[in-house]
Amino acid sequence: MSVRVASVGVGRFGKRTEGLVDLAAEAAGVALEGIGRKPVDLLVVGTMLGHGPNGPFAVLPRLAGRLGLESADGLRVEAASATGAMAFHVAVQAVETGRATRALVVAAEKMTDRPTTTLTGELAAALHESEAAHGATMPGLAALVSQRYLQRNQLPASVCALATVHDRSMASRNPNAQFRTLVTPAEVDASRPVALPLRLLHCAPISDGAAAVVVEKGRGPATVLGLGQGFDSLRIIDRTDLTTFVASRLAARDAYEESHLTRKNIDVVELHNAFAPLAFVHLEDLGFCGPGEGPGWFERGWVRADGRLPVNPGGGLLGRGHPVAASGLAGIAEIAAQLRGEAGHHAIARRPKVGLAHSMAGLGVQNFVTILGEVAR
Amino acid sequence: MSEGESPGLSLGKCATCHARFVPVDGPCPRCGSGSTEAYSSVGVGTVLASTSLEVPPPGWSGPHPLALVEVEDGVRLLVIPDPPLPPQGTLVEVRADGALYRAKSLEHEGAKRGEGDVPEAGASRPPFEPPR
Repeated sequence: MSVRVASVGVGRFGKRTEGLVDLAAEAAGVALEGIGRKPVDLLVVGTMLGHGPNGPFAVLPRLAGRLGLESADGLRVEAASATGAMAFHVAVQAVETGRATRALVVAAEKMTDRPTTTLTGELAAALHESEAAHGATMPGLAALVSQRYLQRNQLPASVCALATVHDRSMASRNPNAQFRTLVTPAEVDASRPVALPLRLLHCAPISDGAAAVVVEKGRGPATVLGLGQGFDSLRIIDRTDLTTFVASRLAARDAYEESHLTRKNIDVVELHNAFAPLAFVHLEDLGFCGPGEGPGWFERGWVRADGRLPVNPGGGLLGRGHPVAASGLAGIAEIAAQLRGEAGHHAIARRPKVGLAHSMAGLGVQNFVTILGEVAR
Repeated sequence: MSEGESPGLSLGKCATCHARFVPVDGPCPRCGSGSTEAYSSVGVGTVLASTSLEVPPPGWSGPHPLALVEVEDGVRLLVIPDPPLPPQGTLVEVRADGALYRAKSLEHEGAKRGEGDVPEAGASRPPFEPPR
């Protein structure tokens, strides 16, 4: 049974005055308009922090009520920063089995109404308690991974800026992106240290935002060709190699296998690089490049809109913004929009046939790979 | 040495799969076996990576140092190193401080760094075939 993306809706990411349910309803409304308000029998909602009107509770019924979906089934999922990808996978599986015929997937996060230290603490709750007890935070552990990556490949810290400069350049074409201005490598390297080698402009911002996708039975330019996911240990001390995310490799293996495709068939990619140098690690883990080759791909322009493998055409987490739960679904929506020829100003140079969206929970604890494209006939 | 700190480092050893690990009082994190025993390690290891969180995490004050250390038998520990921040490759002595691990450098100021560094397994991985 084939399942396709029938429409997408992504709202503006950044600092928004609206609340969680309003943001979710806005993105969902665009996606529902996209299918001409055809009936939907399943609503899958994802939010990680759950900063709704009554905290984490009753987000799903409120949204169902706002959207007039009282007769639909409803599910809510959570997978930290991969929540949006998990919500999509759940919806696809429900349609695939025939339990649902058309599903609306919505992922939203409200973050900017909390102080940064509060958010850092909430996000660190996704880490293992023994590591959080030592004062570990997401940027702190990502800094250790980044340092190992640079050292293994004998690369200078200055290469990290390549990924930020790229994402900001892609985001400048996306009207819904949080950052629409370009940055230079010198500006990135002059931004304040967060946890060296990571500086402020290497880190995804705090954002509000929501994304929505409708999936239904059938085939089209954005048919679901392969889904994959993988786990890794929650404690980073249990990992024998810090410079790779096993969860990404497992997810990619499953998705490539199901789709009967290889990396060579992929025309466009969305990566989950909440921290700039992780883009290089992800390119390796997804099989696109060899150890230490990632920065060269950015330097040579291979990841640009007209390059051999356009990366993060919507601006990625560093440019589009990172409302944590929404990012995984925004990446999938971006790939679907590129495939469907609906990406507008951020369309890549040649309309792609197959695209891959990668999403990561925590620091590679549960990663997802989604491959969309035309069905080979 | 302050209260709660003890010399040496207690590590766990699994009788089933022979993994070595922390914490010592739980099942083996690799195979789940309950037949484990504690043993004492000198706690000397090498810094794999270190950083300083410029904005202190909730509950901490000032720039907060963190380091990943590999001690004997491949056991890795996340530690709070004593200042100054020991760079990659520094030989350190890890000690338990309640539920926390701390580490002090065993190298004198200005000593050559990097000699004792432990390479990642990935360093010897063969390159992928380039796409297209």
